[in-house]
Amino acid sequence: MNIFSKKSPDELDEDFSDGDTQNDVALQQEGRNDQLDEKVATPSKPSIISEGFEFIGTITTAGTLNISGVVKGKIHAKSVLVDTTGQVEGELHSDQVMIKGALNGEVRCQELNIGPKADVEGTVSYQNIHIQRGGRIKGQFTKK
Amino acid sequence: MADVEKTGCLYVGEGVTLKGNFTVPDIATISGTIEGDLVAKQVLIEAGGIVRGKLSAELVDLRGEVVEHLTATRSLIIRSSGKAGGSIHYAEIEIEKGGSLHGDLHIIPSQGNS
Repeated sequence: MNIFSKKSPDELDEDFSDGDTQNDVALQQEGRNDQLDEKVATPSKPSIISEGFEFIGTITTAGTLNISGVVKGKIHAKSVLVDTTGQVEGELHSDQVMIKGALNGEVRCQELNIGPKADVEGTVSYQNIHIQRGGRIKGQFTKK
Repeated sequence: MADVEKTGCLYVGEGVTLKGNFTVPDIATISGTIEGDLVAKQVLIEAGGIVRGKLSAELVDLRGEVVEHLTATRSLIIRSSGKAGGSIHYAEIEIEKGGSLHGDLHIIPSQGNS
């Protein structure tokens, strides 16, 4: 595709979705097109919200997310680890969830693992659950 | 269950259905079905055992099923074949992988004698 083509900006946008998009162009577009998130290859390394960091908003990733800090908002990820210092407030949609810290809100997942010092409160739907002794859970639980 | 011959214990065998309200001073082991309320010190529900009604005990070890209401003032263990449903009150909980939990969960303050 030629960036210097004489097409209008609208027509250019159509070209971006034809699957032939070059990486550098895709990067430029990332900020204004959410659809592109899905095209990004699955990252092998986890994304990390480290201790002392607070994030407010929506996180979407096809990979793993490790949370040691605070996240308020929505999370969509393949796998999420909320570490002992981690805190999540809001919605969490993920295949695999491991909670060692605190979570308040809505969880939808396949595999839910709750550690011995975890504190979970809210609406939880899961397929498989494992709670280690000492974990505190409160709210509505539904097995899918 | 080794201690079932002791006084104050209840054993409900496989295929047995009991209806009514029961107070057991010590251990209740359920392999059959109880329809009604059960109060005991310790309750062990074997795989295949079902309690339909209110179950209240210090310690509950669940391999079978509890429907409706469950209170464990000290410890609740749901084994891999266990199913708990309805309103669940506990002080301490553990769920093995494969165990099922469906309902409202509430934490009650621990009695402190652990």
